Amino acid sequence: MLVDTLSREAIPGPASDRRPPDAPARTEAGQPVPAGTPRGLSVTVQGLHKAFEGNPVLSGLDLHLAAGSFTAIVGRSGCGKSTLLRLILGLETPSAGRIAVEAPPGTPPRAAPPRRIMFQEPRLLPWARVVDNVAVGLTGLGSRAGRRGRAQDALEEVGLADKAGQWPSTLSGGQRQRVALARALVSRPGLLALDEPLGALDALTRIGMQDLIERIWRAQGFTALLVTHDVSEAVALADRILVVEAGRIALDLRVDVPRPRRRGDPDLARLEGRILDHLLGTPQAA
Amino acid sequence: MAHLPSPARLRDAAVPWLVPAAILVGWQAAVSVGLVSNRLMPAPLDVLRAGRDAVRTGDLWTNLGISTLRALAGFVVGGGIGFALGLANGLSRLSERLTDTSVQMVRNVPHLSLIPLVILWFGIGEEAKLFLVALGVFFPIYANTLHGIRSIDPALVEMGQVYGMSRTELFRRVVLPGALPSIFVGLRYALGIMWLTLIVAETISASSGLGYMAMQAREFMLVDVVVLAILIYALLGKLADTLTRALERACLAWNPAYRSA
Repeated sequence: MLVDTLSREAIPGPASDRRPPDAPARTEAGQPVPAGTPRGLSVTVQGLHKAFEGNPVLSGLDLHLAAGSFTAIVGRSGCGKSTLLRLILGLETPSAGRIAVEAPPGTPPRAAPPRRIMFQEPRLLPWARVVDNVAVGLTGLGSRAGRRGRAQDALEEVGLADKAGQWPSTLSGGQRQRVALARALVSRPGLLALDEPLGALDALTRIGMQDLIERIWRAQGFTALLVTHDVSEAVALADRILVVEAGRIALDLRVDVPRPRRRGDPDLARLEGRILDHLLGTPQAA
Repeated sequence: MAHLPSPARLRDAAVPWLVPAAILVGWQAAVSVGLVSNRLMPAPLDVLRAGRDAVRTGDLWTNLGISTLRALAGFVVGGGIGFALGLANGLSRLSERLTDTSVQMVRNVPHLSLIPLVILWFGIGEEAKLFLVALGVFFPIYANTLHGIRSIDPALVEMGQVYGMSRTELFRRVVLPGALPSIFVGLRYALGIMWLTLIVAETISASSGLGYMAMQAREFMLVDVVVLAILIYALLGKLADTLTRALERACLAWNPAYRSA
């Protein structure tokens, strides 16, 4: 359930200070924010089955995502990775198995931070101004004026403060996706699911968006789950990469490369090669 | 904002009126020279004179007022029912299965063919005209409202649900605004049908109104008044269209197709 956690929170200050008050400070060496940052939700999946009209998509999948972690799921088209994401978000119901999304210990049940998803398409309301589109992310939370104020802050965070009064049709594809990101983040979610959100963008815009997502994730400490078929995107962003095959997790890799990560880093390239080999079925010891 | 319109803008505004103006000039010339008989086709100046007389006696305003009232009443009743049923059938499968087939059957009956029946039912009273206008206006509003709701992007609806919109909020913020462009198309069709139906109904059975004014003028061979009535229909049609366009521009400013068109 997406519960009202935000109405009792003060309106966040400038972008750089937007971290839960007790979150660990960003380390200078660029280490990932340690798992267990208060706001992140943890996800536990046990024996998950999902079938569409008798065709199994997921068969007996087990998975645990630590709170505050950044996990990428890669796999061929149709391997069930998007279905897994939609199941965790509660957009589909499992055929069998259990999914538990848990707030950090000590959070009152009503105050659990919400889960949000960013789709491949921006899915903005064409008839609402940019700032009102972001305020959709606060549906049911607080007053109208309060929602607008926070939406404006979220726009600033993604660098689109000056577009607040525009119609979505006047924005470029990358800008629209940034508005969608602001909408997903404005309610300060505990879990952000990203369903190939950058697939439709050109290469340079995509790299800019990846940096933006990483920066905001490190500042806010939510749990991030990225579904992508771009392996280089997965290794650039994630702490952990899961390769899904035939409805199960076939490969589970940690990415221990420190952040900020340099594009073209040899460790990342090696990892990317390994995952690609696995996906393409080149014989190689895993 | 309030600066004078530039010559280019004036020229733009004048272009649509060039053809009507040329026709008027040609018409006046043809009658004045004697190419066309004054008894069959009065010159524009004669029509203007007839209009002036009708305004002076108050006939024009009375009849125009009565016709407008009838048109609007029929429009509100028929359009209201069409809109409501279009919404209901767009939002509920059950409602659509129950009523859409019947509506589609009735739709293919030309509504003006009901005039003899309507006269039998209601005589030549106000109900007859209200009924016919309402019936004529109903279908375009119904069909376009339904189509508008049907063609809403399901991805947007899913987005609204993910963000926790209630059913009312989903309707108000996603479904209705998304259906609006299509509803406006229906509105414009309906306005045209509204005048058409009313004038036909008034021509056949009425004791007041614009259509009646034209019929009476025909009996007394007042060709100028007949032409005057026809010109008024043209102006009313244009007026309704202009109002709808302004409404569209105000409500659909988000849509690049309507922005400062």
